[in-house]
Amino acid sequence: MQQFTVHKIGPEIKIAGIDLSFTNASMFMVISASIIILFLYLGSKNKSIIPSKLQLIAEMFYAFVAKMISDTAGSKAKPYFPFIFSLFMFVLFCNMVGMLPYSFTVTSHIIVTLIMALFIFVAVTVIGFIKHGFKYLSIFVPSGVPVVLLPLITIIEIISYLSRPVSLSVRLFANMMAGHTMLKVFGGFVVSLGVLGGWLPLSFSVALTGLEILVAFLQAYVFAILTCIYLNDALNLHH
Amino acid sequence: MKSFLFLFIALKAIDFDLYAAEAGMPQLDPTYWASQAFWLILVFTILYISISKFYLPKIKNNLDNRESKIKEDLENANKFKEQTEEKIKEYEAILKNAKKEVTKIHFESKKILDKNIQSKKNSMEKEIEKEIAKAQKEILEIKKNSILSIQKISESISSTLIESISGDKLNESSIRATVEEVSKKNIGKYL
Repeated sequence: MQQFTVHKIGPEIKIAGIDLSFTNASMFMVISASIIILFLYLGSKNKSIIPSKLQLIAEMFYAFVAKMISDTAGSKAKPYFPFIFSLFMFVLFCNMVGMLPYSFTVTSHIIVTLIMALFIFVAVTVIGFIKHGFKYLSIFVPSGVPVVLLPLITIIEIISYLSRPVSLSVRLFANMMAGHTMLKVFGGFVVSLGVLGGWLPLSFSVALTGLEILVAFLQAYVFAILTCIYLNDALNLHH
Repeated sequence: MKSFLFLFIALKAIDFDLYAAEAGMPQLDPTYWASQAFWLILVFTILYISISKFYLPKIKNNLDNRESKIKEDLENANKFKEQTEEKIKEYEAILKNAKKEVTKIHFESKKILDKNIQSKKNSMEKEIEKEIAKAQKEILEIKKNSILSIQKISESISSTLIESISGDKLNESSIRATVEEVSKKNIGKYL
């Protein structure tokens, strides 16, 4: 679990008695964000008609996220495209940077994912109330449900709505942590078994690394698409 | 054998304290929560602003440019294609007209030629007929003349013959009458 520990880098910064020191977690956030900005800078620098490789990748990300938003939340969600794009890129690059040896996985910390999820939850709720007023509460009362079941369904809907930030944050955090822990355990087996038996966990490690890269992408995608779905609920009140 | 291997792995793992590397999860230690939250919000805000203000508009601009360029090119291509088709139609029309004219000219010239040939032929035939008629007339004349001379010859031959056979000199006029009679009788044979 040593890979998940947070430690201070540089001097202690304390504002109003709260410790806001720059840590290795902060450093990897900055690194991920810098990579994203560098990548997007290189990807949008040339205005050529035939795109370069980096430009093509950047445009693919753009088209990917744009399609994801228009498929799940429709055209009304267009103003939120930059936010969802940033969110997707940030989560994806934090996950991917975390896959490098000796690096730190920002998204494997519950506090980070929880803050993102809470922000999304609050923002979606506020957007819902701004767009629909108190009619937004009808999201808890699905239509076409027998009257007898209505109180129960409403309670279930409220619980599911309130558990959104928890499920969203825990999903990402748990996936990242579990993957890295598993890699660490198998890595430990390789060391402890040595040359004689180490090849078996080593091959597992290789396979798991591939799986983890897939998971890193998938969880970023899931995080972004769930945000889109929540946004869709707030923008287009279906019930 | 397999179960032994797994047992061995498990024992080794316990030996090396892999499962108890540290007590608890560092994620649940609240010492740096505030710091992580603060830096996350800071970094993400900067990232969001730079992406939404600079990079996304740029990428969108690039994509739009490309799309409009492709659209324009396609439109141009279609326009050119239409133009080509028009030109081909024009060309075909010209070709058709030309063919028509050619057949017309061909037909007319043939007609004129035929007429010329016919008229020449007619005049030739007339001339030939004329010539033939003239020749026949001449032949007829020659025949008549020859009959006359034959009559004279036969008269003189007959008179000479009669004279030499009988020794008498017969009246020339009676001989002439006899020869004329004979020749009149046989004139159909010669003419």
